[in-house]
Amino acid sequence: MNLLLILLGKLLSAFSRLLNLGSGSTWPGHIALSINPNFIKQILKHNPKLKIILIAGTNGKTTTAKLIRTILKKNNYRVFQNEGGANLLNGIASSMLLHSNVLCTLNYDYTIFEIDENTLPLILKEIADPNFIILLNLFRDQLDRYGEINTIASKWREALKKLNSATTLILNADDPQITYLGLHLKGATVKYFGINPANGINKAQHASDSTYCPNCGRKLAYDSAYFSHLGNWHCDNCGLKHPQKTFTSSPIYPLFGDYNKYNTNAAVLLAKEIGFSNEKIISSLKDFKPAFGRQEILNVYGKKIQIFLSKNPTSLNESLKTIVRLNAKNLLLVLNDRIPDGRDVSWIWDADTEEYISKFKNILISGDRAFDMALRLKYSSKAQNSNVKSQNYSSKFKIIENLEEAVFDALIATLKDEILYILPTYSAMLDVRKILTGKKIL
Amino acid sequence: MIHNTKYNLVIGWLYPELMSTYGDRGNIIVLQKRCEWRGIKVEIKLLDLEFKINELKMCDLIFMGGAQDQQQKIVAYDLLKKREALKEMIEDGIPGLYICGAYQFLGKYYREADGKIIKGLNILDLYTENPGPDEPRLIGNIAISPCHPELVSGSHTKGDSDLRQNDNEQALVGFENHGGRTYLGKSVKPLGKVIKGYGNNGDLPAIPDGKSWQAGDETEGAVYKNSFGTYLHGPILPKNPQFTDLLIKIALEKKYNKNIVPNPLDDSLEKCAKKSILQKMKIK
Repeated sequence: MNLLLILLGKLLSAFSRLLNLGSGSTWPGHIALSINPNFIKQILKHNPKLKIILIAGTNGKTTTAKLIRTILKKNNYRVFQNEGGANLLNGIASSMLLHSNVLCTLNYDYTIFEIDENTLPLILKEIADPNFIILLNLFRDQLDRYGEINTIASKWREALKKLNSATTLILNADDPQITYLGLHLKGATVKYFGINPANGINKAQHASDSTYCPNCGRKLAYDSAYFSHLGNWHCDNCGLKHPQKTFTSSPIYPLFGDYNKYNTNAAVLLAKEIGFSNEKIISSLKDFKPAFGRQEILNVYGKKIQIFLSKNPTSLNESLKTIVRLNAKNLLLVLNDRIPDGRDVSWIWDADTEEYISKFKNILISGDRAFDMALRLKYSSKAQNSNVKSQNYSSKFKIIENLEEAVFDALIATLKDEILYILPTYSAMLDVRKILTGKKIL
Repeated sequence: MIHNTKYNLVIGWLYPELMSTYGDRGNIIVLQKRCEWRGIKVEIKLLDLEFKINELKMCDLIFMGGAQDQQQKIVAYDLLKKREALKEMIEDGIPGLYICGAYQFLGKYYREADGKIIKGLNILDLYTENPGPDEPRLIGNIAISPCHPELVSGSHTKGDSDLRQNDNEQALVGFENHGGRTYLGKSVKPLGKVIKGYGNNGDLPAIPDGKSWQAGDETEGAVYKNSFGTYLHGPILPKNPQFTDLLIKIALEKKYNKNIVPNPLDDSLEKCAKKSILQKMKIK
């Protein structure tokens, strides 16, 4: 029967692409799972040699997956992966279906699956003993969809209890909730990664989520905080503390920003666990190109554009921090409130836009909720600047709701030797790319 | 333009570290800016766990946001010890804005999904019940038509042909996300009537298996003296400057014991933002 499902799925997917209905990255799997709920389990049973890497966490899944995929591919391993965004059960089933041959065989050495926060417990029911699980972080993201992070963490905890020694867990030591997941696990091997930032601050930022001890609920103390609630933490009450043996030093960092140090250290720790040497890791990653929308650089009309996906308070803070360090002058912010973005845009008020907004020459705002973002910026002038004139926002930024117009307006305002930095939410990022690359200018 | 420069306000922010999950600090930012733009000096008092009661008593305006369940429990433990002071201030008419979890906590009790009762501060005549783990949370954009006379400018002209237009400018807009359903007693008034959304105890479509939640009463939030409770995140104040200014006005009048009208500000951007979301919600 799975043979029929695979044939049907491949056919449907081909049709879908032919008719331009999208890349067919979720619904062939959706159909397969609704006809045979054990589809994933059975296909994997048929392919016992396939090594499986699962990646979950709020921020950094796509970049971490691409880093790992690059290392494996450069070393001649055969790898397949679920398509970006297709990170629910149906997306994973689709990916397996499209990569298997008619004998239900997956002719690959490794598969990497990015997993949605809510889907991790479900996928662990289907894939009982993955080789690796990377858990990157838990930040506040789309409270309307995911609920609160404590709820997600406790569901993860339950699901991870069932793992056996076939699995190596790669956990972020700097995130207290993630560290806690690795404690008292009987089955899996646990390895920790973190970062060694140049300038840790001593107080967690406003966008912080779990500054409370995951064990006893008291407030955590930080020897240094890197960003949001990530840092070198300990609990004075119950004694829970940051793990000592932590991998913090990749031999190469191909991307900007502290958050990418986390992604890189996670990917490199995994590569080292597989057995890659530092030399091999360096040579694999030295020409690394970022995943689409994640610091991706595009050239349009001889002008350079760099896109930084900014989808929650932490990722917006980190994007702004990183581009200000790069001396950015031109900024286009795009805020949407569609399902993949989260319907609730209140998160922009948890980002520290005050810190960065005065650094730009041109700021343009667009998207479904452009006016919400504009208000956030209007109220971002420095607190001590109590001059009534500071209410006059119009000289500081411009609002163009239509995204296509906004993109071209921003391009015109960008000088030849400057870069236009675009910070979009998820659906906005897809739209921006379509506008910039769909016009055959690339 | 004459500025209100001779005034100052102390705004007390209850549990900024714990009760600040849904962007609610935007309310503090907006209160502070709209005072500063008028030359009103503002001090924000951060009242975190184990704050001193006399710090609370110095405040002219109180704000408290919502949070995750675990954090609300920690807060409940601390705030129950300071109930008398807060009750005294609320009874005395010190203005306050209480969002979501904070709003629920001012009431008599919160019944959790599993039936467990969490005692409230019992200052406002209302209670909240979570109908159970199988009932959906009430999530989405919401618009309400305010009941407070000062938020209904021109309420005396009711019956005019432009009433509809007026209503929309006066609408309060936000985003709600709550599992609990709140029911108001006789001694509080609703903050508004739901135009679109769920509100206090929202009317949900019948669930296919036949078990449906009771119809809502179309109210949203609660007002008692000068204290306002609401489910509106968004946050509520940036897109509803008339409400922000009402809180500032009440706080000033209470403190200086005379009529004070805050200077008008340019709210064209705020109006555009409100209009845009009302259009998205297809409210004409």
